[in-house]
Amino acid sequence: MKLLQNKGKQLLTITLCVIPIFLSGCWDRSEVNDLALIVGMGLDRTDEGDIELSAQIVNPKAMGGQGSSENSQSGGQPVTVKTGTGKTIFDARSKLQEKVSRRLFEGHNRIVVIGKALAERGIRQHIDFFARFPNPRLRANVFFADGKASEILKIMPNFEQDSAEVARELAELRIGMKVTTKDLLQQLASESGATALPRILVDKSDSGEELRVNGTAVFKHNQLIGQIDDALTRGLLWVTDEIETASVTLQPKDAKDYISFKLLRSSTELIPTIKNGKWKMTITITSEDDVVENETKLDMMDPKIIDKLQKQLNKRIRKRIKMVLDDVQEGMEADVFGFADAFHRKYPKQWKKAEDKWDETFPEIEVAIKSDVKIRRPGRSGGPQGVPQDKEATE
Amino acid sequence: MIEKGKISGLQMAILLYPTIVATAELVLPAITGEVAKQDMWLSPIWASFFGYLSVLIAYRLHSYYPKETLLQYSETIAGKIPGKLIGCGILFFLLHTNGMNLRDFGEFVNGNFLEQTPLTVTIASMAFVCALAVRGGLEVMARSSQIFVPVFILLFMFIVVLLIPALNPGNIAPVLGEGLTPSIKGALVPTQWFNELFLISFLLPYLGENENGLKWGMITTTLIMITLVITNLLALLLFGDITSSFTYPIMDAARYISVADFLQHVEAVEMAIWVTGMFIKISVFYYAAVIGLAQLLNLSDYRPIVFPIGLLLISISMWAAPNLQKLTHFSSTTWPFYALLFQMIIPILLLLAVITRKKFSKTQLS
Repeated sequence: MKLLQNKGKQLLTITLCVIPIFLSGCWDRSEVNDLALIVGMGLDRTDEGDIELSAQIVNPKAMGGQGSSENSQSGGQPVTVKTGTGKTIFDARSKLQEKVSRRLFEGHNRIVVIGKALAERGIRQHIDFFARFPNPRLRANVFFADGKASEILKIMPNFEQDSAEVARELAELRIGMKVTTKDLLQQLASESGATALPRILVDKSDSGEELRVNGTAVFKHNQLIGQIDDALTRGLLWVTDEIETASVTLQPKDAKDYISFKLLRSSTELIPTIKNGKWKMTITITSEDDVVENETKLDMMDPKIIDKLQKQLNKRIRKRIKMVLDDVQEGMEADVFGFADAFHRKYPKQWKKAEDKWDETFPEIEVAIKSDVKIRRPGRSGGPQGVPQDKEATE
Repeated sequence: MIEKGKISGLQMAILLYPTIVATAELVLPAITGEVAKQDMWLSPIWASFFGYLSVLIAYRLHSYYPKETLLQYSETIAGKIPGKLIGCGILFFLLHTNGMNLRDFGEFVNGNFLEQTPLTVTIASMAFVCALAVRGGLEVMARSSQIFVPVFILLFMFIVVLLIPALNPGNIAPVLGEGLTPSIKGALVPTQWFNELFLISFLLPYLGENENGLKWGMITTTLIMITLVITNLLALLLFGDITSSFTYPIMDAARYISVADFLQHVEAVEMAIWVTGMFIKISVFYYAAVIGLAQLLNLSDYRPIVFPIGLLLISISMWAAPNLQKLTHFSSTTWPFYALLFQMIIPILLLLAVITRKKFSKTQLS
């Protein structure tokens, strides 16, 4: 008892007695080998109107033993795709859980693929799960599949471990649009009422099946209203200032051969103006290119030639953008360009009045496109290669 | 005096800074964004005026009664019985608000990380740690926060810097698109968080000599204001219009971080910020309540009542609200007015009473 007389030691004893109580139960203990890591999710609509959730789950047997041949035989594919059907995503998820021996975990989910049948009935109602349920992250990339989403997830790619990683990397390269769950939530809540999602396709060839990001699906007021192809998507990326990698190939006037340029950087500004009640949008694009290939006999060091090429490049960009405007602004009447936000930001008062009539105003907006391309460098060579000095063409 | 410890001005600042920032950092963007929209980053600036005012009032009262805390001089000013009643009111407010703080903490941890763990366990373990800190006295609290607050700030900066590539500066426009009103309306709740700086009146008496309490109070308020503006800007530039649709926007922002595909899943950092911040916040409120009660009852030592009050705090936190929805509703509608009474109106009335009495007695003397 003498030990306990010291006050400090008394406290210590009490603490030591209390701690084991908390050790006996760890409510939220979750071991990695009890989890089924979901890396990709696909949403489809069944004929009965239910949601079919496909989950690409990392195959634990194939993990870790990649080097040894023994494991790769018994382990099989690095990921498996399981599906479940239910009224909501979570309902489908619980059906899916019945088939999986480990607890489903969406914390590492990288992509969400939305199938066509589901997208036609709207996407807003289904995206809530990804912003409410604790596990998923808002960083996951969202794609539109012009067929069944589960087909996309089932592809076993050559380079990467799973199709989810392929899709994410493709989005990161900005071949098409890059839309994360957060971006999608913002688009859905935005004033324009229009949403655009990158389209993902299965590319069948002799060497097997590969994924491809190609084109864009356009939604208006939560309805799928159309799809645009790759060329138009590039135009859309120019307008939304998302273009990062681009190659432009031109055929100079009076030449048989081509010149290729590589885009270094580009920035787009949307400048809205309201004059006498007339709404106008000016799209200003400044970009820099390098020459990377010259098939012609033109001298790439000649400033005059470069001037002409710049003009031609400008024309090309304007044409691209005009194409997408014709198709999406006038055809689909969907504001996926962010015009609504641009007007709201610059003219908050006028916007407040015209807000409700945006759907009628938008197709009528006059758009001016200004492009300023600067060709920076001729590349590693100056004049054309393989041509004697005196045979070089001047203009 | 029952508290024998002395703290420096910097230590006082370091105790008060997380006391306001901890709760605000997590839910402020959601609450201000609801009404202020893209002007939400202005709201903390308007709200900070109340912080400065609160510090000023507490300091003026302190200069009349340099050795006493709020509960002691309220007795001297208002008389024994009314003074004790005011003291009881303030004590109730401190306990209730701290119960809500504890509950906020528990709801966050349970809602985001430990879903299966009983709420009582999360809350009780936090209360226990805070009780140990309070029992250690003011100096112990000050020194532990000297260790925690730099970590708190560092981790917060970590999140801010990592998010910079994902921010979209365009979200800020139109600045003052609908005039000043939305941002001022958005300042309503943060105003009362800033008014929590009235807790400075429990710390000022224990400031070492030659320490400028007013200066440090003002510095603290300014730092808090800057931090909250950064917090709101961060959420606004990342999420734009949808900020207020999240329960904990900064939490989702932290989860959004992904640098070069490997630096991701850093929500544990956000959790660490919140837990360290809440630890200090709850301890400071807890300390004020304990020392207040000891002074109200004229006890010779405050240590014996630390654990009983801790139990009370746990119960209050469970009674505070049946669910997160009601807790948030209460703390963004009723609480600001209720807090205004104890944090601002009572100190102002006390100060006015002192000033008029001093004037009155002077004229009598002359």
